Amino acid sequence: MKRKSMLWLFAMILVLSAFLAACGGGGSDDASDSDSGDSKDGEKATEEQSGEPQQGGTLTYGLDATPEGLYNWAFYGIATDAEIIEFFDEGLIEYDENLQPIPNLAEWETEDNQHFTFKFKEGVKWHNGEELTVNDWVFALETIAHPDYDGPRYANVETIEGAPAFRAGEADSISGLKVVDDYTIEVTFDEPRLNNLTNIWSYPMSQKEFEGIEVADMSGSEQVRTKPVGLGPFKVENVVPGESLELVKNEDYWNGEVNLDKIIIRVIDNTATVGALQNGDIDMISLQPVSAPDVEKLDNVEVVTAPGLSYYYVGFKLGKFDNDKKEIVEELPKYQDLNLRKAMAHAINREEWIDAFFFGYGKPVNKPVPTAHWIAADDSEVNVYEYDPEKAKQLLDEAGFVDTNDDGFREDPNGDEFVVKFSHYATGNPTFESRSQAIAQYWEEVGLKSEVEMVEVNLYYDMVEKDDPSIETFFGGWGTGTDPDPSALWKADQLWNYPRYNNPDADALLEQALSVEEVGDDQEKRAQVYAEWQKTVTEDVPMIFIAELDEIMGVGENVGGFSMDVSGYNNPAEWYLEK
Amino acid sequence: MTTNAATGAVKRTEKSASPWAIARRKFLRNKLAMASTVFLILVIILTLMAPFLAPHLSPIPDITKVNISKMSIPPNGDHLLGTDKSGRDVMTRLLYGGRISLLVGASATAIVVVLGTIVGSVAGFFGGAVDSLLMRFTDFVLNFPFLVFVIVLNTILFGIVDGLWVLILVIGLLSWGGVARIVRSKVLAEKENEYVLAAISIGTPPAKVIIKHLLPNVLSTIIVQSTLLFASLIVAETGLSYLGFGVPQETPSWGNMLAFANEPDVLQGKPWIWMPPALIITATILSINFIGEGLKDALNPKSQR
Amino acid sequence: MLKYTLRRVLGMIPMLFLVSVVVFFLAKAMPGDSLSGEIDPTNTNPEYQEEMREKLGYNDPVYMQYYRWVTDFMSGDFGKSTRYKMPVADLIGEKLPNTIFLALTSLLITYVLAFAMGMYSGRKPYTLGDNLIAGFNYAGIAIPSFVAGVFAVYFFAFKLNWFPFAGSVDIEIDKGTIDYWISRIHHVMLPAFVLGMFSTASYTQFLRNDLIENSRKDFVRTALAKGTPMGKIYNVHILRNSIIPLVTFLGFDIAALVGGAIITEKIFTYPGIGLLFLDSVNNRDYPTVMAITMMLSAMVLIGNLIADILYGIVDPRIRLG
Repeated sequence: MKRKSMLWLFAMILVLSAFLAACGGGGSDDASDSDSGDSKDGEKATEEQSGEPQQGGTLTYGLDATPEGLYNWAFYGIATDAEIIEFFDEGLIEYDENLQPIPNLAEWETEDNQHFTFKFKEGVKWHNGEELTVNDWVFALETIAHPDYDGPRYANVETIEGAPAFRAGEADSISGLKVVDDYTIEVTFDEPRLNNLTNIWSYPMSQKEFEGIEVADMSGSEQVRTKPVGLGPFKVENVVPGESLELVKNEDYWNGEVNLDKIIIRVIDNTATVGALQNGDIDMISLQPVSAPDVEKLDNVEVVTAPGLSYYYVGFKLGKFDNDKKEIVEELPKYQDLNLRKAMAHAINREEWIDAFFFGYGKPVNKPVPTAHWIAADDSEVNVYEYDPEKAKQLLDEAGFVDTNDDGFREDPNGDEFVVKFSHYATGNPTFESRSQAIAQYWEEVGLKSEVEMVEVNLYYDMVEKDDPSIETFFGGWGTGTDPDPSALWKADQLWNYPRYNNPDADALLEQALSVEEVGDDQEKRAQVYAEWQKTVTEDVPMIFIAELDEIMGVGENVGGFSMDVSGYNNPAEWYLEK
Repeated sequence: MTTNAATGAVKRTEKSASPWAIARRKFLRNKLAMASTVFLILVIILTLMAPFLAPHLSPIPDITKVNISKMSIPPNGDHLLGTDKSGRDVMTRLLYGGRISLLVGASATAIVVVLGTIVGSVAGFFGGAVDSLLMRFTDFVLNFPFLVFVIVLNTILFGIVDGLWVLILVIGLLSWGGVARIVRSKVLAEKENEYVLAAISIGTPPAKVIIKHLLPNVLSTIIVQSTLLFASLIVAETGLSYLGFGVPQETPSWGNMLAFANEPDVLQGKPWIWMPPALIITATILSINFIGEGLKDALNPKSQR
Repeated sequence: MLKYTLRRVLGMIPMLFLVSVVVFFLAKAMPGDSLSGEIDPTNTNPEYQEEMREKLGYNDPVYMQYYRWVTDFMSGDFGKSTRYKMPVADLIGEKLPNTIFLALTSLLITYVLAFAMGMYSGRKPYTLGDNLIAGFNYAGIAIPSFVAGVFAVYFFAFKLNWFPFAGSVDIEIDKGTIDYWISRIHHVMLPAFVLGMFSTASYTQFLRNDLIENSRKDFVRTALAKGTPMGKIYNVHILRNSIIPLVTFLGFDIAALVGGAIITEKIFTYPGIGLLFLDSVNNRDYPTVMAITMMLSAMVLIGNLIADILYGIVDPRIRLG
């Protein structure tokens, strides 16, 4: 999604050179490909330098999930759609590989983190030939704040002064937006916040294009679904709903020359991924860990990875939440013993588990923030629970969990039968069952009797959210965006704080990290506060942090100019095909 | 086998052979059908003996335990059919899975045959309002979106009833429509025969007419239908499990084993994981169909072979 | 006949109504709704979910939701897909042609193959050709369509490269040209064959057995005795009798194709109604699930009706009360 940095590109050279140097020929001729593939290892540097971007060609980009077809930033719902939009539209702000905002279509200034002035680049054109102005942005913000708007983005507009009034129909416009001229706009937020900039909606919508369409009808309109226009390096030429898209080069792209003539995006079933890459039917695709080892074996395809922004965990239900009162109203006793939770964390061999179920495309995570994020604390600053069954047993002994009836499993301190119930969501994927079974077995090995329960995925999240009594320990995953603030997933008054973690000290730290008075613009200070919060959480073990996964791309050897980091891949305008 | 003795026995009674005896003789002479019967019986015995056989066939006879160190091992001396992605022995799971798949198929077939026969014969015999009411209801059942119902019931009854029985009930309750129609049309045709009309005219109670006079005449159809049903309901189980809407994932069944073929790396790269269930399903269905064919031939008085 | 047809058509209405009631309440009894499931916290928040639930009327009593849905449905408004955010009618309209094309191709393949093979086998039973055809039939009936489909993708699409592995058409070809239709046929062949395999096998089998059985009937002997050539007897007398039951299958075929399309479309990633249905069920997109369910039920009813009418036409002796 975001621009790459030259430094990062340099770091990627080792990986990239293999396909930068490719002598083309696609995937049809395996023998010659494998020859060139083997001989390339030693000559990376020279090949890299001579790898001049070439013009023209059609690149086929695969998707292993079906898009919903909402090709507009304001309306899309799933990641697959976003993956497509990135080819033909972009926003005012980009993020660098440290996830810090950098100017793209606009620059900004602020004194107090409440009043911002945005200056747009001049002469940037929409695909329909209209010039981009600040009015297109105002249009986007007012669309999202409109009462008929049916997408999920209002939270990104809400903080602008006057947005709630506009939404309630009390005002004709959002009072916090002041258009100075076509390229300058002043934005006022309702209060100063450190994350106002990263939170605000930064994607304009072409006002001209949506002329005469009611907000309620927009998500179903052809402007969103089949004939979207954007500002990006490629234009949408043709859409076959649910199966493919044809994108062509945008001759008027504002940010440099576009190398490729055409990109075909097509949906393929994930069982067909490896075969399609091998045959050259697709040049690039985002891979699931399970396919990656097979793709590694292909001579005509390279596997490129970058750290991801999501993590998996095993949560403990520690309380019950009242969604009306927005507070945790009851404490659940079963897993309150801190030593029990620590022992269960020590019992799990995360390395082995990740290697077995994610084929090594991931690593253990020790805190509630993915390591690649700039607020992530160093592992030395948090409590790390390494695989240590002896320590686990010792902790359980200390906590009074001992086998009193010689059935091979420990009883709770009162001498009653103790069974850990572990829930995991079920889809059609058969490996979910075995990976959850594996976790239960780790607990059984330290003497805790464990049961796995697979629950249909919709029902599962419903039960987790409503604190259903049958959910005791549960598997889950969270993704973090570019905005580092984890409040929505962790504070005691939040519905999505699934473990019902309730520690006022931790909540106070989260508030402090966002406070303009205490932290201000000092990023280092902010990171420090977040690190302290992470330490607090890891001491309390409301969840066992399991793994963070890599983003993996399979890239054909004949594709050049591609790179990827934690913020996504580089601008597709720079991609090219070797002839 | 006992073919000789059996034919011998048949020979003795040849002069006054009942239709059933003729059918039995014909069936025993049908090599394909007999081979299939032997195969099917063998499969059933092997799966039933799974708990006794497993410890001898595999070093890890436990079908639920995940063995991370033994994942995806190709077939070898220890694991005759290799291990799957959970490190479970494929052979062992095949045996245990067969129990489930055959159980689902057989139980659902029983439900279907009983329901279908009752509804079909009652509708065909009484005709008129009873017939149209029952047939409308049959239409309704035939119309029912099977998949929605299975998913919904599976989720609603989750945790209350064992998932396996939910599946059996749902498949059974939604599949009897076809049998009902066939039985009805046979009964419709049969009941015009003089002997049935005579039985009715002398005041024989309907239940007795149906059971004594009509059902024996449609029995051959029912038998053939139920063998074919048995096959198609095994397919129903495996298909639903393959899609992820069938037997709970924790329970090994042939369908659940085949679902691993959905995994991108398995289909092409690890054929030993999905081939055994695919082949055993195919072989089982094939043999049941051969048996059905043989029965059909044997029960058809006009066929010569 | 007309009166009968009319009565049957009218009889469908209460049936559809009943289906709609049961399906709606069952669908609503499914856990979760269109907003539940895996959450991407960077993309939504609890307030939005609550607001949308209120907006979509999920918080109203179920009977009220049903009443609202059924009245809208009667007036031709199938609702708006909660997932795709577009009118369900448009959504179905987008995918339906693909499924119809798949189904028709499959029917065509089925009947052409079944007639050819069935006639051959029936006239020359117990020959080598018959045995080969029987072998195909047994395989066709026994191999579950999902196994066959997965095999087909790998063998014909990947190993031999004869057919595309996914999709319904090559996007780079302009609509309306001959190439466009060739591309579509190229895409549909494999799934259509797999979809029709079971029916092809069973019809071939059926036709064969029926032909053999009928050829032993008295009227055939009479005709033979009168000196009618065997070929003519087959084409005129026997075939007519054997077609009767086969034709009535056509109605059931429609229902079977609809069900089979769900699995076939999934394996071949062929964007039709079946794929849409699976997707909608998994995402609890009620308006779409309901509309498709109603459509499928109506199609099954119409299929049965066609079967009965055809039955009446082909064999006037049988007129169902």
